[in-house]
Amino acid sequence: MTDRIMNHKILGTIQPELVPFRWNGEIIHGAEGESLAAALLANGIRTLRRHEKDGKPRGIYCNIGHCSECRVTVNGERNQRACLTPVEKGMDVEQQTELPHLVKGDDAHV
Amino acid sequence: MFDTIIIGAGPAGLSAAGILQEKQKVLVLDEYFHAGGRLLGQLYEEKKGKWWNGLEIARKLVSDTQDKTEIRLSTSVYDVELDDTYTVHTTSGTFRSRHLIIATGSREKSNPLPEWDLPGVMTVGAAQVLTNFSRVRPGDKGVIVGINPLSMVIAMELGYADIDVAKICLPPENLLSTQKPEDAFETLVSLGHSAPSRFISTGAGLAGKAKPIHPAALKLFPKNGIRAMGLPISIKEKIIRINGTEKVESVTVQKTDSKGKPLNGKTREVKCDFVCISDGLAPLSEIGSLLNLKHVYAESLGGYVPLHSEMMETELPNLYVAGNVTGIENAKVAMYQGQLAAHKILGDEDAAMRSLSAITHERKNAKVKFHKDLLQGRETVETMWREIEKRKAE
Ligand SMILES: Cc1cc2nc3c(=O)[nH]c(=O)nc-3n(C[C@H](O)[C@H](O)[C@H](O)COP(=O)(O)OP(=O)(O)OC[C@H]3O[C@@H](n4cnc5c(N)ncnc54)[C@H](O)[C@@H]3O)c2cc1C
Repeated sequence: MTDRIMNHKILGTIQPELVPFRWNGEIIHGAEGESLAAALLANGIRTLRRHEKDGKPRGIYCNIGHCSECRVTVNGERNQRACLTPVEKGMDVEQQTELPHLVKGDDAHV
Repeated sequence: MFDTIIIGAGPAGLSAAGILQEKQKVLVLDEYFHAGGRLLGQLYEEKKGKWWNGLEIARKLVSDTQDKTEIRLSTSVYDVELDDTYTVHTTSGTFRSRHLIIATGSREKSNPLPEWDLPGVMTVGAAQVLTNFSRVRPGDKGVIVGINPLSMVIAMELGYADIDVAKICLPPENLLSTQKPEDAFETLVSLGHSAPSRFISTGAGLAGKAKPIHPAALKLFPKNGIRAMGLPISIKEKIIRINGTEKVESVTVQKTDSKGKPLNGKTREVKCDFVCISDGLAPLSEIGSLLNLKHVYAESLGGYVPLHSEMMETELPNLYVAGNVTGIENAKVAMYQGQLAAHKILGDEDAAMRSLSAITHERKNAKVKFHKDLLQGRETVETMWREIEKRKAE
């Protein structure tokens, strides 16, 4: 199954070059140079982040760098906007998760 | 040291660069990884069979500039200072220039509704970029919340990619969202001859000929909406919440009367896997604020715009603005504004005047109009500019 629009009535046909990269340790494929946000969605992945405070899922929102909802960890660097980051072969991308509560301790949300 | 730095590689910024590069050392900065700005996702039929393909136009603008202009992508500008020259702080270092053009474009407005933070809820522009630029489906079946020129155009674009749009309705009424059926109706009528609204003058035969907001026309508007040009538009229904646990599963739709008042007990769920929220566009003028420019509020321009003249000048020396940062309009206007700013910087007054008349002409004939009172908004800003100039001269 593909979620890519390979043929488009007006824009024509595309043949993206797929390259492997890692999402939470697992190898998946994206089109080289497309945004991470698009590549993950093409793999059926909508939850890009868990909210720092309550762990609720978050995904693509504005897709052009304004809202910062799509931030992920890329090659160890936190808070990279997935919509502004092009896919590179072999890159390591991880979802960010709920943070421990510094005052109430880890169990606060359980 | 550059002669001119341009912030934003959209149609305005790239068009300015195309002219300046013949005489100057120019740097264009943009935080996206591809040049072209919001052109990249644009796709609509201008005349029968003649398409405005933004991606192609962006490619042309890039090929015209990439040899002579330095274009730095994936570079966010986060501060600008002025002493003798402009110092521009970015995520890839600091750059200096004699002239600066702010061409940062616009952002989408979107008002919250319950569960709008679920994965699968996005702005309508996000769906546009996914579909036309990334060529990845935002989902299989979408619901659009908000009836305005942009959401209509993008609904059509989803259709060209065979993505099902289940409904286009109004947002719930709250402190931020006040759109009523009559406003939506007016929007549909004001889209003039553009495809999504053709039903208004032909199909449903309700208005178009007569005065737009005739209460009878509103009353007659079918309760379940209409299907026009493949678009299921419904101005007497509101999306009152989005449902799902890990992602969007459905929306709850509330029926209203022709004034937008909820009809008791009339709600139902519509299944979908993505939702687009759309409340129009607003100029993105943080850079102007960093430089302490005066800003003017004009609703018809999309919100606050930095005070500027119709020749794209600002209160600061050698600082120009161009494109949607001056008010929401289509990409052609943005291109002419970019050219105008460039001609002013080069001191070519004749060419600047020609760009100004091109803008006036395009404003009259624009296929996509974002606000019916645009000209009034432009007038407000220009009047304020002139008053301040007059005071300075005295
Ligand atoms: C989501 C969206 C969809 C749109 N769709 C349509 C449409 O279908 N039809 C239509 O006619 N108009 C559309 N518009 C209006 C659009 O703004 C204009 O058509 C046109 O693109 C404006 O050109 P511009 O050059 O002023 O700005 P833009 O095209 O927006 O370009 C501005 C550029 O500046 C960059 N930028 C902004 N701030 C910074 C910063 N601090 N640092 C570095 N770079 C920065 C951005 O990344 C962007 O690439 C849309 C606008 C938006 C926001």
